[in-house]
Amino acid sequence: MNPNARIMPRDKGAASLDVVIAVMAFLAALALGASLIAERAATTWRTGLAGRLTVQVLPPEKSRASPNREIDAALAVLRSTPGIAHATLISEQDTLTLIKPWLGSDALVADLPIPRLIDAEIAPGAPLDIASLRKRLKTAAPDSFLDDHTRWLSRLRSLAEGITWSAYGVLLLIALATAATVSFATRAGLEAHREIVELLHQIGAHSGFIARAFEWHYFVAALIAASIGTGLAGLLYMAGTGAELVGIEAVPFLPPIGLHLSEVAWLLAVPVAVSWIALLTARLSVLGALSRAY
Amino acid sequence: MVRFENVGMRYGPGPEILRDVTFTLDPGSFTFLTGPSGAGKSTLLKLTYLAEAPSRGLINLFGSNLSRVPRAQLPALRRRIGVVFQDFRLLDHLSAFDNVALPLRIAGREAANYRRDVEELLSWVGLGNRLSARPSTLSGGEQQRIAIARAVVARPDLLLADEPTGNVDPDMGQRLIRLFEELNKLGTTVLIATHDRSLIESARAREMRLVEGRVIELRSPIA
Repeated sequence: MNPNARIMPRDKGAASLDVVIAVMAFLAALALGASLIAERAATTWRTGLAGRLTVQVLPPEKSRASPNREIDAALAVLRSTPGIAHATLISEQDTLTLIKPWLGSDALVADLPIPRLIDAEIAPGAPLDIASLRKRLKTAAPDSFLDDHTRWLSRLRSLAEGITWSAYGVLLLIALATAATVSFATRAGLEAHREIVELLHQIGAHSGFIARAFEWHYFVAALIAASIGTGLAGLLYMAGTGAELVGIEAVPFLPPIGLHLSEVAWLLAVPVAVSWIALLTARLSVLGALSRAY
Repeated sequence: MVRFENVGMRYGPGPEILRDVTFTLDPGSFTFLTGPSGAGKSTLLKLTYLAEAPSRGLINLFGSNLSRVPRAQLPALRRRIGVVFQDFRLLDHLSAFDNVALPLRIAGREAANYRRDVEELLSWVGLGNRLSARPSTLSGGEQQRIAIARAVVARPDLLLADEPTGNVDPDMGQRLIRLFEELNKLGTTVLIATHDRSLIESARAREMRLVEGRVIELRSPIA
């Protein structure tokens, strides 16, 4: 005896319905996580190079003057330019580290003419005349080349935006597929319980009462299944974050497949959305069926 | 209470199941509906408990012409009707108690207010010790008694029963008829579709016979 007994029973074949919803939620959470990672990577790339300048000073073999004199001259020009926060010469060891992913670290690299690099940071918000700076650098150090990364940044921005929008496109497709699957599964479940709907209708239940009994049932079932699916996706991303923390890089140059805590919170939107889709589908299906009944 | 005027009923393009059916059930009356299988007894009951709308003719229920009652008001009319379905239509996942209490839950009554009523009613139909049993664990006769208890628990103004004693032994059949008579004495109008002649003979009630979709009044109620 339970006065609050559920009017709806557990569905026949409910386990398979739950599995479908859990899998779709898992995929949706993966797609959402991928979108967040892509967005973060794009932002990192954009902000990482923006506001920075690099001055290359050719190696001794090609230089007409003493490289050390040119480096000092270039540093002096940079440091005396208003708007440059600081300028630092990158050590030869650090330069080799930078090119190691591309060229390796064997003996051959040591023989290559490697230019010296000066890293300069533009003070935030400071107006800087790049053309004038380039001209002054050429005068003081003829073998130096100023790179303000404009060309790279433009390409990187396009690439980052492309990746971000592609990720959002995939997320949208999976969200649509999830919504359609949950909606279809909910309607199939309702069809299996048509006799209960008819009985409740027959003994005087209002449409709203019947719809509430059904929508709550499917809301809870979808919430549990979608939470499991999303939880599994969350675990996967947490494993990615863990790998990042111990220094394992999944793919060189690409961002690690891990989510920050604030991004993990976004995944909670998946079970919430899935359960509301189930609730609304159940409600509309029941009200639709009852509107056709006498 | 119930008035049919020249009611005809057909399902889709099929033949007419009921033809020019005209009769009246007065308030507080007790009537048996008889007739051979396929005569249209169940269809007549379905029209009366508002499961179907007639193809033609007028049905007047509780003083309202059903063709003019807005859809939103039909649930309120249905709550004034108790129905014992031939196939019981019990919810298998609910206990005997919860099945019987269902109309009261739908009516918005609190569990604390109806618990004793439901338990007493189940005791009356001989299932006082099976309150928590699921219908699937009960015999056909026991399920039928739960269906009857569910139909009468809200003390409906009109009680309709389709072969309500078909699965119980004669003694329990008589006991259930007494339950209907008690309810009838409290003012409920009763219409019972049955083939059981012994039941009809034992109750001093009007008999309405349905033959080939038409009503033939056989026996008037005995005063």
